[in-house]
Amino acid sequence: MNTTYVGEHLWPGQLGHALVILAFSTALLSSLSYFFSARDTEQLESNAWYRMGRVSFAAHGFSVIGIMALLFFMIFKHMFEYQYVWQHSSKSLPVRYMLSCFWEGQEGSFLLWTFWHVVLGAMVMITAGKRWEAPVMTVVASVQVFLVSMLLGVYFGDYRLGSHPFLLLREHPEFQNLPFTKVPNYLAQLDGRGLNPLLQNYWMTIHPPTLFLGFASTLIPFAFAIAGLWKNRPQEWLQQAIPWTFFGIMILGTGILMGGAWAYESLSFGGFWAWDPVENASLVPWLTLVAAGHVMLIHRANGKSLASAFGLSIITFILILYSTFLTRSGILGNTSVHAFTDLGMSGQLLVYLFFYIVVAIALMIWRRALLFRREEEEAANSREFWMFIGSLVLCVSAFQIIFTTSIPVINKVFGSNIAPPTKPIEHYNSWQVPIAILIATLIAVTQFLKYKNTNVRTWLRQLMWPFVVATILATLMAFGLEMKHGFHIGLLWASVFAALANGQFLLRNQKVNLGKGGASIAHIGFGLILLGALISTSTSSIISRNTSQTDVSKLGKDYSNRENILLRRNDTLQMGPYRVFYKGKVVKGIDHFFEVVYLEPDNKGKYQQAFVLRPLVQANPRMGNAAEPDTRHFWNRDVYTHITYVDLAQVEPGQEKEKIKETKHTISSGDTLYTSNAIVVLEGLFKQGDAEGLLTAQDREKLGLKAGDLAVGAHMRILDVKGKVQYANPLMIIRGNLIDGLPAAIDSLGLEFSFVHLNPDNGKVDIVVREKQRGENDFIVMKAIVFPYINILWLGMIILVVGTTISIFNRIRLAKKNTAAASS
Amino acid sequence: MKKAHIIGIVLIAVAIAVIMVAVSDSSTYASFSEAQKNPDDVFHVVGKLNKTKPLEYNPEINANRFAFFMSDQQGTECQVVFDGSKPQDFERSEQIVITGKANGDRFEAEKILMKCPSKYNNGQMEASTVSAGQGS
Repeated sequence: MNTTYVGEHLWPGQLGHALVILAFSTALLSSLSYFFSARDTEQLESNAWYRMGRVSFAAHGFSVIGIMALLFFMIFKHMFEYQYVWQHSSKSLPVRYMLSCFWEGQEGSFLLWTFWHVVLGAMVMITAGKRWEAPVMTVVASVQVFLVSMLLGVYFGDYRLGSHPFLLLREHPEFQNLPFTKVPNYLAQLDGRGLNPLLQNYWMTIHPPTLFLGFASTLIPFAFAIAGLWKNRPQEWLQQAIPWTFFGIMILGTGILMGGAWAYESLSFGGFWAWDPVENASLVPWLTLVAAGHVMLIHRANGKSLASAFGLSIITFILILYSTFLTRSGILGNTSVHAFTDLGMSGQLLVYLFFYIVVAIALMIWRRALLFRREEEEAANSREFWMFIGSLVLCVSAFQIIFTTSIPVINKVFGSNIAPPTKPIEHYNSWQVPIAILIATLIAVTQFLKYKNTNVRTWLRQLMWPFVVATILATLMAFGLEMKHGFHIGLLWASVFAALANGQFLLRNQKVNLGKGGASIAHIGFGLILLGALISTSTSSIISRNTSQTDVSKLGKDYSNRENILLRRNDTLQMGPYRVFYKGKVVKGIDHFFEVVYLEPDNKGKYQQAFVLRPLVQANPRMGNAAEPDTRHFWNRDVYTHITYVDLAQVEPGQEKEKIKETKHTISSGDTLYTSNAIVVLEGLFKQGDAEGLLTAQDREKLGLKAGDLAVGAHMRILDVKGKVQYANPLMIIRGNLIDGLPAAIDSLGLEFSFVHLNPDNGKVDIVVREKQRGENDFIVMKAIVFPYINILWLGMIILVVGTTISIFNRIRLAKKNTAAASS
Repeated sequence: MKKAHIIGIVLIAVAIAVIMVAVSDSSTYASFSEAQKNPDDVFHVVGKLNKTKPLEYNPEINANRFAFFMSDQQGTECQVVFDGSKPQDFERSEQIVITGKANGDRFEAEKILMKCPSKYNNGQMEASTVSAGQGS
């Protein structure tokens, strides 16, 4: 039976899938053609294989761009008949987040990665020159074959190769045969599931493209390395690989820190780095890429360390593939905050990973005679020696991170059952902080060394000033910031030293060559990144911790660690240097903003409003509640505030109605009754005679009590949740056959007791309790953290990018000069 | 001895140290009964929330105490006490990984990692971590 569906657009899906297949086959064709043409790179123009390689790569590029344009068009047009569009977007989604929908899913992010390879591949086609284009593009196109295969979505028997984003919702394996697929006009009511609220953030618009460009840029040095081995040109490849490597360092570094900024701005863990496996997976290739770049520079300077330059370029790319496997295969499931789960592609990813490992190792063995020559050792007073040591230290850092991160993989391979460290941050820091001290110190001192051979006396003299100033500054800062941890002080000193020494080097050498200053500027930036990261994390303070006035230590030894406070509406609490009060809630659509007002003492010590933070909780009907922090940025510190618990059903300010709950209890003396906030015990009854002391003359007059009237009182003891005891004595007055009462209220608890009936037979009494319900859930539970000097980190990043850019242009200029010199 | 040899030996030593520290800092996935046998050790316990028993969270009394019942993969049930606020959407969790120590017949969790279905979509799950007392 066939249903004719109403309103579906089938052409984009058919066109899209056709383009995916086209992109795959053209990549394969391009790789093979380039491969055959690379056998003879001297007469390329007359080589039909070469022309075929170029044309098919161009066709591949246009197909990939076409796929992206089509997918974006489908998201923009809300074509929810497509599973990918339905899954990642919705009608209500603002246009500015539509890009994020694109790469929220696995397929979209592979597509983004593929796209950057196309862009970089095109740049290689333009700039690499005839000798290099064919072998390098063979590698680039082969990677495209693998990547696009992830998007194929073609079945071989029961095995599905890849998954493409053009699948119709009703044909998706999970939705096939569901009732809606029988309804011809199912689309009329269909809305998408929407974008994960955590990703509705401007950082999520720019972080993934930057990170994937960083990933993609590691392919180019790798492709040059493979081409260099293959074509037996062990030295030449570096000239072009160096600018690409530093481009990768810059972009990947920026992408990683943007991820940190996103986590800081919109996630709840309170910080920009948590050594999460997914973060580690992108940091590790960056570290080896930095090591690769520096080893390449050593080789350019003295012709040594060639094997390391090859090895590190290859390892970096392999690590990118390994990271992809870690984060996309679901293997991190039990350890990571934001790993994807398996989409059935881990097998494909492993094939991809092992293919390149085998190819690279085979090539290196084949060319071993070139790589592992007997070399004279570098002198200990040469720059290259210490640059090499620095690169090794970076590799140790990378090894430590990837080893612990790979524990789930080790479990899988060896069948063991090891869980990751219980305190991951402390575990990683115990290695990475000392390593950072080493790296920063090397950054400070190595720049002043000369290649081959340095006069140690001159070197020490030049370093003396930065050393002395850094020591004084670091001591002052350590005191000012009350830093106590030895390694933290060590890193503080080393990072200040690194920044100052490179600053000094820059001033000293700026007249000689500004282009060479790029490295110093980049190193200043890196020193500042370390400094900012160190200060903001090691001296951050959770000001929402232990703010109550009671002695909390009695409540248990761990109580001082507790980080959340409860803030009732309009209550004011002291929190660190601030007083805070919760003003109320503002609801905009599905976003619930909670206004937290921070007060600061003025000159006279009077508290004035300093700023208002509006952390929010999004009540997403499909995805549940997601909280997003709000941060106030000052030049020297950030104040971060995050809602950890709230009852979204709480009434909106100004609209609350006093609800009164009335309950009648029939009890005897000594019985207990419960209200929502207190325990009440009826201690006993007292007669008129006893009540003399309790009933004032005024009361007696007001009630018009006469001598013959009878008054009975209930003596009630009230114990509230804070352990405070209060008493209430409601009265029942009997005048002839008229019964009257005098209720008693406990205002602080919103309780009122009335004594309404006394059963003379059994002595039981009826007590009516009236509870005011207002404000029952009118509070927030929040966490607030002050991060001092986090801006140094972001400033360092900008300086690093500027410095690296200068360096890259300088290297390109040098390369052009060399080429010109070689051809003339 | 050449410098290269010294460097090589140092590297090997560091690599061994890295592995040894990683192993000694690591913990084990365990069941509640194993955790109760070794009350001094920190364990990871994987399990499911018992949705039929009440989740205790009374922020007005203590905003930093959250208790719930969870059964581990062997099906043993145990009360878990966490020094923190109740994570958003805890009721919706499919699977929980807690880290902490056993204390009598209770388990004191330092960290909760929970996986909720459908946060991204049906095929994927999203995990989120909540930790207490971990301000570094």
